[in-house]
Amino acid sequence: MTADTLVMNNSDFDLDIVVLTKGVPDFREGKVSFDEHGHLERGKTPTVMNPNDRFALKAALQTKVRNGGKITVMSMGPPGYKEVLQEAMEIYADDLYLLSDREMAAADTWATSITISTAIEKLDKKPDIVFAGFKTADGETGHTGPQTSWCLGWPIITHVIDLEMGDSRKKIIAKRLVKGDIKEVETVESKLPCFIIPDPEFEAKYPKVSDRLKLQKLTSETKERAIDYEETLTIWDHKDLNLDPDYIGLDGSPTIVGRVDPIPKAPAERDAVMIDMNYEQGEKEMIGIIGPFGRGE
Amino acid sequence: MIKDLNEIKVGDLKKEIVKIEDLDELKKILLSEKKGKNRRTAIDAIDKRIGMIDGDGMVNSKGSLDPSEYDISKLGSAIREIEDVEQLESILKLEKSGGNRSNAIVLIESRIKKFSSEKDEEKIILSALSVAGVANAIRGIENADELRELLSQEGDGENRTAVKKQLQNQIESLEGEMIYEPIIQIPPEEKYPYLRHPTNDKRHVRSLNGGKYEDMWVYCETQGGELIDVSREMIGKARDLMNQYNLDYKTNEKVVVVLIGEDVSRLVDECISYGADVAIYIEDKRLKRFLHTAYTKIFCDMARSNTEWKKYDEPKYVIFPATNNGRDLSAQVLAELDSGLASDCSGLYIEDIIISNPVKTGRPGTKKKFERVLHMKRPDFSGFEYSTILCLDNPHREFHPQGASVIPGSFKIPMTDDGRNGLFISHEMKIEKSWFNVSVIGNEEVETGIDLSEYEVIVCMGRGIGKNPTAGIELGLKLVDMFENAALGITRGIVTSSYKFESRVEQYTKEERQIGETGQWIKPKLYIGAGVSGAIQHKVGMTESEIVIAINENENADIRDFADYFINGDLFEVIPKMIESLSSMNGNLEEFVKGEIK
Repeated sequence: MTADTLVMNNSDFDLDIVVLTKGVPDFREGKVSFDEHGHLERGKTPTVMNPNDRFALKAALQTKVRNGGKITVMSMGPPGYKEVLQEAMEIYADDLYLLSDREMAAADTWATSITISTAIEKLDKKPDIVFAGFKTADGETGHTGPQTSWCLGWPIITHVIDLEMGDSRKKIIAKRLVKGDIKEVETVESKLPCFIIPDPEFEAKYPKVSDRLKLQKLTSETKERAIDYEETLTIWDHKDLNLDPDYIGLDGSPTIVGRVDPIPKAPAERDAVMIDMNYEQGEKEMIGIIGPFGRGE
Repeated sequence: MIKDLNEIKVGDLKKEIVKIEDLDELKKILLSEKKGKNRRTAIDAIDKRIGMIDGDGMVNSKGSLDPSEYDISKLGSAIREIEDVEQLESILKLEKSGGNRSNAIVLIESRIKKFSSEKDEEKIILSALSVAGVANAIRGIENADELRELLSQEGDGENRTAVKKQLQNQIESLEGEMIYEPIIQIPPEEKYPYLRHPTNDKRHVRSLNGGKYEDMWVYCETQGGELIDVSREMIGKARDLMNQYNLDYKTNEKVVVVLIGEDVSRLVDECISYGADVAIYIEDKRLKRFLHTAYTKIFCDMARSNTEWKKYDEPKYVIFPATNNGRDLSAQVLAELDSGLASDCSGLYIEDIIISNPVKTGRPGTKKKFERVLHMKRPDFSGFEYSTILCLDNPHREFHPQGASVIPGSFKIPMTDDGRNGLFISHEMKIEKSWFNVSVIGNEEVETGIDLSEYEVIVCMGRGIGKNPTAGIELGLKLVDMFENAALGITRGIVTSSYKFESRVEQYTKEERQIGETGQWIKPKLYIGAGVSGAIQHKVGMTESEIVIAINENENADIRDFADYFINGDLFEVIPKMIESLSSMNGNLEEFVKGEIK
């Protein structure tokens, strides 16, 4: 790190921002492993950062670029989740926290929220904004953000597609998506501290050239930092957080998975004709079917 | 004629005795059963038959029950004692030809369903089942006598140790619960001396001790002052669930709807007509639009209120729509009430269940029966599996209400019944200023995104694009461009995947283009699925397409079962060939087709 960046960072640490992230099984084709009964084998499926958490990181980074601040990325999970935090740092993080403990294992959203909110409160400085992704790719509940926010007693703005700080930097103005029978965009306002959950439709915007330069600089710095990410990583267990094991993890979870069924296969309905496109006949056959829908020019 | 009672199964015995009309003969059978195997189910069946004939000398006297003589509210108790499926079916027939009331039909049908399934269960033939099969077959049996009968059947038959152990465990779990010592909770100070005390920060632990829980509460979301469809769907589902619940548990609990907003009292009648018993509402100008904190505080105040009509502490079940706002509200309400919930459910039912999870039983190695458990079924893991989520009390922490949010469109909007009566409750409470910590300063309606149902051709991309996701989407777009009237769709797998798309194609990979159960339902003239494996949820959204072409590297991909044409190959090779053929046509299709294909 050059002297120049040090100066910039120090003067810039205005807002304290926390981003929550989670590791999920990699659901890309070919990565997912199933056992003989058709059940997902989590152990054999690689773990990656929850895709929706990218939007939380991007929103946090946009906030930092525009207003200055420090971004702490926090996750809860087994020690292997350290690499998920590294993945997050490649997008952006100033420092990393992993809440990791056997006692925290197999927590549902409520037990997770109690644990994470306790950790947020334990941070040296009370954050101004906490960002979380909307829904994880595995559980897909979308509950942890709202419930963590409830534990903190903070205002929350969910499904955020656009975000800016008010002039005084004490207030946040956001556009959020409401979907019911119709789709609406609300403009809402909240004081800090505030909990923000960006929608997958969130797009970071950098209209100012100076911001784009700053972004470039921060991005290259964080990528470098991510190589030795463990230097900025703090690991906390239930003792650090002073949490009773009976009230976290599996023991503190109201819900359990009663049973898991493979999604049934759809019944056969049509008798597919095989077409081999490696032969001219196959190509002709195909064009006979799709040709009539072609663009007439 | 019954020859040897010891040889005949209870199910068959029931069939046989229906044919017997001689009272003495039945009494003889009863006596010999008592002397012989002395099966309670068998004795009940014979007793019942005797009662039927003895009652007024007429067989099937109860069959003459005319449903039209009963109010819908009374019909339930009138048929409560009837367990004979044929008898119930004749009542159903009468109802259909007479009053034809939809809720009466539901009531009778649910009873028929209940006893026809019991009949099936009685027919368990253990020797025909594997050990795992037995475990599944006996899971729902709660009658210890029935299980003993199976145990003797296994003993006489294959005599497998594993099967007998399963049956014995089940019997023990049903009967043995009372013999345990109470579970003692060790104070955390003793249990975890290394933690600072008062250790556990229990600010968020608000569960009750010995709380009373009743009824199913439904949060009815509104938009623009009207109920949204999923609110109607949930009332219908809640009505069905509670009809069955009231029958199963011989009780009379209610469906309660919650309305929060600026002008919601006018929706109360509509909610009742869909099947609610009680509508509890609050109106305030500040509640015009959804606000997380205020709505959560209000819902929980209603849930905890103790009034004339509500003599319990908290609702037993609460359900919410799995919309952007409904899902958030469900999460925060259950956080405030310190209980659990499942989100985005597509199936709900209430049943007893035997659980061996030591966290829930409090005693490792034992089983415990939990009664009246809401089973919440949801597609999970990006649609790879269905999970059934249960919210169950811990030995020292009650997790009630049991909560769920429901995917819009999962259940039907019920028929309205304008004659239904219900209770309207205007909820009185102090609304605090501090709850309005977020303010809505503007709102506008926006286009719902792309409507794929408007296109003649849909090119749908699936996880087959994995090896180069951006190029895969671009290829799909190029193919789309070759058609007169086409659009690009994607599978749920693309939406939830961790693909890193380059920004130029990112807009095509959003949820708004998703086809399937939780996305858009399309019926184009031509559907091309490239790298789409064919999960059942996807099929739901495209099965009505006129022509289905599937491109897949896996020759046995599920989509083959609902495709008209199947191209076994890599989409990165096949699509360019399609594009080339279409462009070489050069807009001169007629000649092209005539010339080349007869």
